[in-house]
Amino acid sequence: MIESAVDIVQQPKSARLHVGRQSERNEVESSVLKTCKRAKRVCLYLVLVLGAVVVALPFCWMVSTSLMTLGETINRQWLPGTPRWQNYQTAWTEARFAVYFLNSVIITVTSLAGLLTTSILAAYAFARLQFAAREVIFFGLLSTMMIPEAMTLLPSFLVIRGDVIPLPGGSWLNTLQGLTVPFMASAFSIFLLRQFFKRLPVELWDAACIDGCGHLRFLTTVVLPLSKAPLLTVSLFGFIASWDALLWPLLVTTRETWRPLMVGLWSLVTEAGPETQLFMAGATITLLPILVIYFLVQRQFTEGIMTSGLKG
Amino acid sequence: MPTRVLRLPEAIGRRLRRREAREHLIGYLFTAPAVAVIALFGLFPLGYAFYMSFYAWRVRQGPFRGLRNYGKALGEPQGILIFAGAVALLMLAVWVWRRARRAGAGRRLPGLLAAAALLVAAGAAAVTGWGRMLETGDVKFLNALPVTIYYALGSIPLQLAIALALACVLFQHLRGSAFFRMVFFLPYVMPTVATATVFRSIFSSRDTSMANQFLALLGLEPQQWLAESRPILEILFGWQLPDYWGGPSLALVSIILFGVWTFVGYNVVIFLAGLGSISGALYEAAELDGANRWDVFRHITFPLLSPVTFYLALIDFIGALKAFNHIFVMRSPLAQGTVNTASMVIFDTFYLANQYGYAAAQVVLLFLMILGVTYAQNRVFGRSVIYD
Repeated sequence: MIESAVDIVQQPKSARLHVGRQSERNEVESSVLKTCKRAKRVCLYLVLVLGAVVVALPFCWMVSTSLMTLGETINRQWLPGTPRWQNYQTAWTEARFAVYFLNSVIITVTSLAGLLTTSILAAYAFARLQFAAREVIFFGLLSTMMIPEAMTLLPSFLVIRGDVIPLPGGSWLNTLQGLTVPFMASAFSIFLLRQFFKRLPVELWDAACIDGCGHLRFLTTVVLPLSKAPLLTVSLFGFIASWDALLWPLLVTTRETWRPLMVGLWSLVTEAGPETQLFMAGATITLLPILVIYFLVQRQFTEGIMTSGLKG
Repeated sequence: MPTRVLRLPEAIGRRLRRREAREHLIGYLFTAPAVAVIALFGLFPLGYAFYMSFYAWRVRQGPFRGLRNYGKALGEPQGILIFAGAVALLMLAVWVWRRARRAGAGRRLPGLLAAAALLVAAGAAAVTGWGRMLETGDVKFLNALPVTIYYALGSIPLQLAIALALACVLFQHLRGSAFFRMVFFLPYVMPTVATATVFRSIFSSRDTSMANQFLALLGLEPQQWLAESRPILEILFGWQLPDYWGGPSLALVSIILFGVWTFVGYNVVIFLAGLGSISGALYEAAELDGANRWDVFRHITFPLLSPVTFYLALIDFIGALKAFNHIFVMRSPLAQGTVNTASMVIFDTFYLANQYGYAAAQVVLLFLMILGVTYAQNRVFGRSVIYD
């Protein structure tokens, strides 16, 4: 959507450039101007390439280190002599990544399912339904975005431990619900989806209403298929939030059963000591799933943020 | 709406009202799950922390302690009062300065002088009050304040500037800019724990770490990076400055660099959206007037982007306060607490020291600080934002 807006803004400019180019042809200095323009473009590309190199370098460092021997990481070459793929295997088995990886997948999928359900319903209600205190509730939810996690951690921990309110099954420490329920709603996702839902034409609902369609059916059959980009954005953010969680799992898992990947990586880092190549291999493993997903959805993703990051 | 309903025949009005009531009900049903979760894990904890902060609470609830948890953090009331006085003086100075600027030419100078005097007094009071608080309060907690400020001031302007430059270049619509946009955004979506692990090795104190090899390339001495607790000005220029004047420690600077590396991409994308919403007609008008590129940036792009910049500054500030995972992964005991922001200190009090009641008091204090800074940011910068 932004893309097309950008195109509209840009059109007159490119058209102008075109006209300018034609008249330049008649001028003697046109070649000078052209080289000047080319030099400028080279400069712009240099800036972009420099930025990309700074972004990419740590990733290259990570992959190259993960394939080295311990000696090579200390004597530091830029590339390993012969790539040691067995480092990945060592990290995988030594840090019990097989268990942690599966745990992380289950935890992430569960929280994501919950997150999408609650956010879609709430966003639809805030965008389309009239009910008392709607705005108050909405901004109340939004205000929680300003609160650092470190501040809510302690009381949330007590809630999960069952100290504050009675929970079904007593304490939720070391359980799947304890790890996932706090991640099952986010003000940011609701905000992002609401921005999008608000922009869908009202006529859609009017038509559905005449056909005798209820809100829930309208939402699932009309609104959701139209909202792929924001849904992908919300999903990726939700995925990252649960995949990347370190503190919360560290607190609520005292036993190994439900420990996720990030806690595994963290203990690998603290226990592997000088064996840099092992925790680099571990970091690569934890990073790969998100990398793959990001490449698949990145286009809709950045657009989803651009359209909703602005204009509350 | 209601007036129109009244004019309709009775039966239709009743049906409409019933539908309206149904819509209320559906609205509450749809929002209930999200509200329940966010209320329980987002809002309720703040209220509960406030309650907890008045008790001795080590793992289990203990006896009522009144304000003693706060006293433990901030020190004797005298110091706190002097420091609060400093804040009040500062606000007064800003107020006087604003009035003086609006006053006529003749009365401007005395007003400005008065503001300057108030400012000096505020500074003196702040130093004295803070000194008292450090003597009697919790040094670990109090030191988190300058560390957090350094972290925010070090990262926010830097990432805004880099992001704005990159966004302006990307907006030229060169071939392949979509690819670069994707690359710049990459660090933001990668798991922080993993990328911070990588930076832990890049900024390690080994002579062969990436950061030290880079220094060697420039012909400079290797540094301790994340293990360095000395302030940056001492390392750069050899100045031995008292208190906090030496700037952040090199360890904190390393972490700031990581933060910038991570967050620039997000700022670029938002800046791009902002650039896209500036009307092209303005640029054409400027071109007709013969404005050069810098003039266009200075007088059109930058002012019209100010709402975006303001939004990003706020988001980045909140991000700086939230910063946790990467500091947790990158901190080393050798940095001697010079990288412990408020969030870190609260976590340590709670998780390592198991002092729940005291940690709750720190949470409440941090919350008050966030409210104060957000309010100040709104007052100071909110006015200079230009909306088109």
